[in-house]
Formats: sequence, structure tokens, C-alpha cells
Amino acid sequence: MRGARRRLAPYVFVLPFVVVFLVFSVYPLIFTARLSFTNWRGTGAAEWVGWDNYTYLLTNPAFWNSLGNSGVLWLLIVPVQIALGVLVAVLLNSATLRLRGLYRVAFIVPFVTPLVAVAQIWVVLFDQGYGAVNALLGVFGLPDVGWLTTSTWAKPTLALLFLWKTTGFIVIILLSGLQSINGSLYEAAELDGASKPRQLVSITVPLLRRTIMFAVVLQTLAVFQMFAEPFVVTQGGPYNSTTTAGYYLYNHITRADLGTGAANSFLLVILVMALSLFFVRLLRAKD
Amino acid sequence: MTDITTPSRRIGSHVFLMVLLVAFLAPVVWALLSALKPANDIIRAPLTFDPSTVTLDNYIAMFRDVPIGQGFVNTGIVLVAKGAITMFFAPLAAFAFAKYRFVGKNVIFGAVLVTLMLPTIVLIIPLLLQMKEFGWVNTYQALILPGSVDAFAIFWMRQVISAVPDELLDAARVDGSGEFGIFWRVVVPVIRPGLAGLAVLTTMNIYNDFVWPVVVASSDRMATLQVMLSTLAQNITGNRIGADYATVTGELLAASSVALIPLLVLFILLQRHFINGILAGSVKG
Repeated sequence: MRGARRRLAPYVFVLPFVVVFLVFSVYPLIFTARLSFTNWRGTGAAEWVGWDNYTYLLTNPAFWNSLGNSGVLWLLIVPVQIALGVLVAVLLNSATLRLRGLYRVAFIVPFVTPLVAVAQIWVVLFDQGYGAVNALLGVFGLPDVGWLTTSTWAKPTLALLFLWKTTGFIVIILLSGLQSINGSLYEAAELDGASKPRQLVSITVPLLRRTIMFAVVLQTLAVFQMFAEPFVVTQGGPYNSTTTAGYYLYNHITRADLGTGAANSFLLVILVMALSLFFVRLLRAKD
Repeated sequence: MTDITTPSRRIGSHVFLMVLLVAFLAPVVWALLSALKPANDIIRAPLTFDPSTVTLDNYIAMFRDVPIGQGFVNTGIVLVAKGAITMFFAPLAAFAFAKYRFVGKNVIFGAVLVTLMLPTIVLIIPLLLQMKEFGWVNTYQALILPGSVDAFAIFWMRQVISAVPDELLDAARVDGSGEFGIFWRVVVPVIRPGLAGLAVLTTMNIYNDFVWPVVVASSDRMATLQVMLSTLAQNITGNRIGADYATVTGELLAASSVALIPLLVLFILLQRHFINGILAGSVKG
């Protein structure tokens, strides 16, 4: 009796997860796969259209524009964030640094604030006529910038929001990576007369490579799925300059163009998975 | 540990870190303070703060114009229900993965990993259609059930529970405890710090969730706090005429502040758990 209960128990324990998984992951996934080959608009009968949705997207400049926008945002965000993150993490990891706790808490504040609330604050701060940012530039005698109204500046403004929101989180990840580096390496370098910047380049960065790559993969996934920022701050504009891959996908839903949306989801997942794999390979190749 | 030895370098790093600290705190502090200014001053003098003119007018107008109370109620209901489901069933499943051998374990754990790695957006459209099929659009079920029993929570708690010594479980068995009793009376008390971290992370994720709620529950009655905030912002960008803009901006900042404050307070009270939760959460892909 007891043995039977013990054999049965784990199945009962994992059952809720399995039910949720089957109903809300597997079933919908199969459903999307089929949907992506139809022209269904949410009502009426679905018509089988073969690969039409895929060829429509792959030959559509708007689709490529959305990927291009996400690509540019990636360039504006990820390299800056990693460089800044490593620098800050190294400084915070110093044994003799004062106010370490204060810095750590301050850098995490953006991460715990709700993105939508912050995105709204961004709208007000970066307003061309009334915003605090242009007012601050004015103090230094600099001209107004159309942060949200010109296609040149809209992407950097969104990138800034993303950087502000997530850099503290990257610092925490890198900090945990740093704490696993053996301190005696630095002592040896010190004895050999290596300078601090030299130690950063020759010891810290190579040993932190795994953690850095991990952060890059994480942020690549996040940047290509970016949605709330353009939704709240720019609605994809001006002139579609901030229509990210995630926001473009959402547009199919609002137009009830569900077949195309399903195909777009799959293309995006393939891209994101391929990019992640590429970065993982990059990490392995050097190991 | 690297040391910052020379005094000039030490000063240099503090200057650098202080500049960042100001940049990281400024938008939040600015919003909290500006929400207390007369609406016209927010746009006329965005860089100054005069304590003698502090007013709650923006908050009063916002509470009058925006059903933000309903937003809090909706978010609260989802938070409690979805949070409870995850906080109970995820560690339970994790217990099975960490401490039992059973046929099909690897396959089911594979399902956990797949759920972890699947980008949210791929499921949005089919899930929405499924909700339509169920008649669940604009209901609490739709906000609560998909994504409950969070895969990451299982993944994380499995690691935490693996560290619990098997002897403790066997001792409880000898004492006649049932399998669920072992989980409830032995495992749960031991992993309490991990559960605290999980509670904090789960709260943050549910409170801040936006993509799924905006797709499935955008009606006025069902909008969560974040969904409600997002449409407010669209009003302001679509409506840029002088005085009106000032009023809307004032209300917008008041609404954003009201949404920010609960998590900020929670964070300040539970810093350590937050940072542990975030750190563990970083494993999520």
C-alpha cells in the first residue's frame, strides 16, 4: 500500500503542470502550425493557402523593415549594455569600494519598476516641446531634439529606455559571474606588474566570457520580442521607424490577419532560436 | 576581488558610479515629484520643484477620470490567484522531479524546458484564439490560467529542493508521514528562503505583465493596471493641445506614480529576496 502510494505520488505532483502544458502550450502550438497555412481571419471558414503566408511575409518590405528595426535596436543596446555592465560590475566587485550596497540597490530600481509606467514617463520626459530632457538641453544652450517625432531619434530614445530598464539586471548577472573568478589570478598579475586596466582585459573579460554570452543571448531574445516600449511610447512610428519585430507581429492581430500572424510567429521564433544558437556556438568555439 | 588602489582612481570610479546612480534614479524621482506639482508647472518648468506649491490635484483628477481602482482590483485578483497556483503547484512538481524516480520523468521535465525556452510571442495568437473558442476573452480565467504553474518556477525550485538531504525525507517516512506530508511538513519549511525569492519574482512578473493582458483583456472592466496605464499614454500622444496636454500629463504622472509605488515599497522592504529572485530569474531564457 505504502509502496504503491510512493510510486503514484510523483505523477500526482506533476499533474497540474502537465495539464497546463498540454492545454495552454501544446494544443495552441499545433493550432498555430495549421493556422499559418490558412487565411483565417478569426471568423468563418478557414481556407488552406499553402505557403502563401510565408512567401507573403518574406517578400514584404514591411516584414524586413521590422526585423531591420529590431536589428538596429540590438546594435544600439547590446554592445553598450555589455560594456557598461562589465565596467560597473568590476567596480562594484571591489573589496574596498564604499557605498556598494547603495549603488547596488539604486541600479536595480529601474528593473523592479513596471515597464508600462516607465514608458509613460518616457513619453512625458522626451516630449519635444514640454519635456524635461529638452529643457535640460536648453540650460546648456543646446537646441530642441524631436526625440519621439523624428525617425532618426525615435530608435535611440527607445534604446535608452531599454538600457535604463535592464542594465542593472545585467550588472547583477555579471557580478555573480565575477564572484566565481579566483582571486589569486589577480595577485599573480599584480606581482608581474600588470596594471588594473590590463588585468580587466587579460583576466576578467576572458574568464567572464560565459556569463557575458549568457547575457547576450538573454538580451537578444528580449530585444527581438520588444513590444511594450513601441506600443506605449511611439506606436511603431514615426514612419514605422520603431515598428519592432514584436510590434509588427501584434499588428497582424489587430487587423485580424491571423494566418499571417501565425506564420510571422514561426519565422520570428526560428530567427530568435538561430541567433541564440549562433551566440552559444560563438561561446563554445573559444572554449 | 580587484582592489581600487590609487586615490585618483577611487575618486574616478565614485564619480562614474554616482553619475549612473543619478541617471538610474532620476526618471522615477522626477515623476514622483512632478506628479505633486500644479499641472501647468510640469510642462512650463519641468526642471524645478517648489515645495510651497505641492498639490494633490493631479491625483484627485486622475482618480476621478481613470478607473484605476478597478485596475488595482483586477491586477490584485490575478496576482493572488495566479500567484497562489504557481507558489503551490510549481514547488510540488519540483519536489517530484528532485526527489522521485518515475517512468516518464525525463520526458515531462523536457516539457518544462521547452516551455522555458519558448518565446512568449509565439503563443499569443493561438492562445487568443483558444480563449475565443472557450468564450474566455475578457475574463479572469484567461488572465490567470495560461502561464500558471510557471515552468521557470519549477526549474528553479527543483534546484533548491535537490539540496534538501534525503535523510530528512526518509526520517519523516519512518515516522509514518505520507508523501504529501513530507512535502508540506519537511520540504516546505526547509526551502522557505527560496520560496521567499520565488514569491518576490512571481509578484513582480505578474504585476508587470503586459503583452498577454493587453491582447486578451483590454475591455475597460477587465483591464489590469498595466493595460489601463498603456491606453492613458496613447491619449496623451494623440492629444497635444496646450492646456489639455498639461492636465493629461499631470494625470499620467499621477497614475504612473501610483503604479510604481507598491513595487518600490516592496523592493525597499525585501531587497535581498528581490536580488536573489532576479538572479535566479536570470536563468530564464
